[in-house]
Amino acid sequence: MHLYTTAKFRALQLSPQMFTLLRAPLRLPSRARPLTTVAQELARGVLPASNSPVCSTLQFFNSVTQGSGQIPTYRVLDGVGIPIEGAEIPDITPEFARRLYENMQLLPAMDSILYNVQRQGKISFYHGEEATIIGSAAALANDDEVLGQYREMGVLLWRGFGINAAMAQCFGNYEDKSGKGRQMPMHFGSPEHHFHTISSPLATQIPQAAGVGFALKRDPARRNKNVACVFFGEGAASEGDFHAGMLLASTIPTPTIFLARNNGFAISTPAHEQYHGDGIAARGPGYGVDTVRVDGNDVLAVFNAVKEARRRCLEGSRAVLVEAMTYRVGHHSTSDDSFAYRGRQEVENWKKIDNPTTRFRLFMESRGWWNEKEEEELKVKLRNDVVTTLKRAETLKQGDLRDLFTDVYGGEEPWNLREQREELARLVKKYGEVWEPWQKELKRFKDEGKKLVD
Amino acid sequence: MFITSPSSFRPLTRLSALRSRRWYSANTVEAPPASGHLTSVASSQLLRLTRETALRTPGLTWTDESDSDPVRSMVGGRETRKMNVYQAVRDALSIALAKDDTAVVFGEDVAFGGVFRCTMGLAEEFGRERVFNTPLTEQGIAGFGIGIASMGHTAIAEIQFADYIFPAFDQIVNEAAKYRYRAGGQFSIGGLTIRTPTMAVGHGGLYHSQSPEGFFVGASGLKIVIPRSPIQCKGLLLASVRDPNPVLFMEPKILYRSAGNSLPVEQVPIDDFALPLSRAEILIPGSDLTLLSWGTPIYHCEAAINILRSPPSALEPLIPASIRSAKIELIDLRTILPWDVETVVESVRKTRRLVVVHEAGYTGGVGGEVAAEVQKRAFLRLEAPVKRVTGWE
Ligand SMILES: Cc1ncc(C[n+]2csc(CCOP(=O)(O)OP(=O)(O)O)c2C)c(N)n1
Ligand SMILES: [Mg+2]
Repeated sequence: MHLYTTAKFRALQLSPQMFTLLRAPLRLPSRARPLTTVAQELARGVLPASNSPVCSTLQFFNSVTQGSGQIPTYRVLDGVGIPIEGAEIPDITPEFARRLYENMQLLPAMDSILYNVQRQGKISFYHGEEATIIGSAAALANDDEVLGQYREMGVLLWRGFGINAAMAQCFGNYEDKSGKGRQMPMHFGSPEHHFHTISSPLATQIPQAAGVGFALKRDPARRNKNVACVFFGEGAASEGDFHAGMLLASTIPTPTIFLARNNGFAISTPAHEQYHGDGIAARGPGYGVDTVRVDGNDVLAVFNAVKEARRRCLEGSRAVLVEAMTYRVGHHSTSDDSFAYRGRQEVENWKKIDNPTTRFRLFMESRGWWNEKEEEELKVKLRNDVVTTLKRAETLKQGDLRDLFTDVYGGEEPWNLREQREELARLVKKYGEVWEPWQKELKRFKDEGKKLVD
Repeated sequence: MFITSPSSFRPLTRLSALRSRRWYSANTVEAPPASGHLTSVASSQLLRLTRETALRTPGLTWTDESDSDPVRSMVGGRETRKMNVYQAVRDALSIALAKDDTAVVFGEDVAFGGVFRCTMGLAEEFGRERVFNTPLTEQGIAGFGIGIASMGHTAIAEIQFADYIFPAFDQIVNEAAKYRYRAGGQFSIGGLTIRTPTMAVGHGGLYHSQSPEGFFVGASGLKIVIPRSPIQCKGLLLASVRDPNPVLFMEPKILYRSAGNSLPVEQVPIDDFALPLSRAEILIPGSDLTLLSWGTPIYHCEAAINILRSPPSALEPLIPASIRSAKIELIDLRTILPWDVETVVESVRKTRRLVVVHEAGYTGGVGGEVAAEVQKRAFLRLEAPVKRVTGWE
């Protein structure tokens, strides 16, 4: 369903100072100018070539807000779901709001159930970031290209990927189209849903997103219609690839939204050990990129901010940076016990004081769009759905053993891969029939190893 | 998708293709002088100096304008033009850009022509939207190219020197090479080609002389190609650009241009053609020893064969007369990954001896990989251990 053709939205305007905090003042002229122009500029008090104004005060600066302290955070709803003064509530229908809410609730439902099947390996959680993920998914067009880190399953679910497909990937069974069981859980991908396959190395998707935005801009069918949106954590933003990506999208203008999920932690490392400056947002103006910081636990604020980011992105065909402030309520992953580095009480407090789902539920209840009974029904339904899909996914076999060797190269299979595949086929033939551990192992694959040679 | 219906884009005209070819005769580009040079290359017998021999380059296939045209394998009616390596690169890029509207060329200093002049005039001809500078960020260039290619477009990136490819190592090894596999075949970045000047020039010092192909041979999913001459460069580059896999195309930079006008120049077919990837080429047939190399050292090997056959008088006492008549088989590997084991092993089975020559250092060099595979397949045929002649570490 295309958001903009079906839903009745009116254009939302954020206050301009929220968005453009500071634009890079340096604008290089395209070619050397004649000496007379240079002399004129010096007389006007501007440096030649850079246009930097000349001043007589020796002044250092360390803020992008020109002395007014920290970058503000844009918010629509307060902690108990009441619209804050002056905030613009997006013009959403009750149906749309319910859809937002149901998708937000689906994420923790999957979290808690998957948590109990740890044997499937590392699974990362969404708890605490429901509003950021679902709010931005809802603000994007369903065919905008998304490049994620690993906490963005909600975007796919919003787009209709389905929990069945998600489960298949987590279990690596033969229904896993994302990666044919080759990647760890949460490494989804689906061209049909315009969601590029997740890879484990952090931040690599950031410069790639600039390239995706560039391709969109060049494609006559998608120019001025679609954006690329890249998600990453505040930890990943410390990688060189973040710098590279921002730099490329700003110097080679492309419709790319950079969406930083600042959830306070990179595994155990708190954000204040990740950077000394004013978060990720402070970096945007350094690249000459329109930037906003938004309350990532406020789904309506995220929705408004990403929608406006998208509008700017398309209008100017330029990059936009959004920093969504959230809190990772869950552990980093199933192999992490976060109480080793933060207090249980701290987490409990967060859950109570600033719970993105509760905030939005209170808002919906105040409008008469939601009630206790529906809440109970939804929770039961989601739990059942997830449990049923999980039970099914658990029983399905892994894909063909043969697929260990496919998709490495397009075109002709090189000799080394062919020989290695044949080697495995020989071993399977030799030991697979007589050696019990191998017999058992082979049963786990759909082809039981039989398709290795053909 | 618009890629298959180019009509929505600027249609390709025969004129634009012709214009790109006329560029050489219109502006005679004087190669800036290079101080380092290989004296033997000028007189190499391996170069195809006439139209006739150029058009008979082994393995050459014409890539004609329309797919529905019958493949014209005859040589009549085909033109050639004298080109050195950087002009051949430029010619291949021009054809790639003219025939594929999704193709873009980018990298550091690419817009003005590139530090080795390989992209000269392309920005003027195809526009700054398609031929453009990037900021100084190798990891960014590789990542950006992967993003473009992931959308089905053709991305031709330049890393200014192979010595500076390491900031992009992660993007190439973890991302480009694994893009298809990790996506279960649902996404691919086959349209990505990364060109980079490699190997020594004689005055490049520690950081403008390296030959880092060996670092990438473990990156299954990636192809690595190193051409030796203008014809090879054009045909292999066009094949790389169109190959359904990411290709690291390493151009031996000493061969770009000549000192004076003596470095490798060939008559290069001006039409669109390809040379096969993953196929080695036997340059000189022989029966006593196989000499395997790629890139610049191909010419050192040729010189060595000549010296062995008729040593200069000063060297005569050092080269026993008994070995002077040895028939050496010289092979250019051309594609380093996945490499052509069949041609190499077949040759060694016949000659019973193998010497691998590369500029990169000994330890961890590609020669070790080749030696291991050859001894596995031709163990009983070998008369001597595989010898590696390489750069010193
Ligand atoms: C290049 C790289 N270094 C380290 C890791 C290991 N690692 C996985 S997740 C993670 C923390 C990432 O934190 P952040 O970017 O803030 O994302 P969050 O998990 O908070 O969503 C680390 C260090 C990795 N995957 N890739
Ligand atoms: Mg984080």
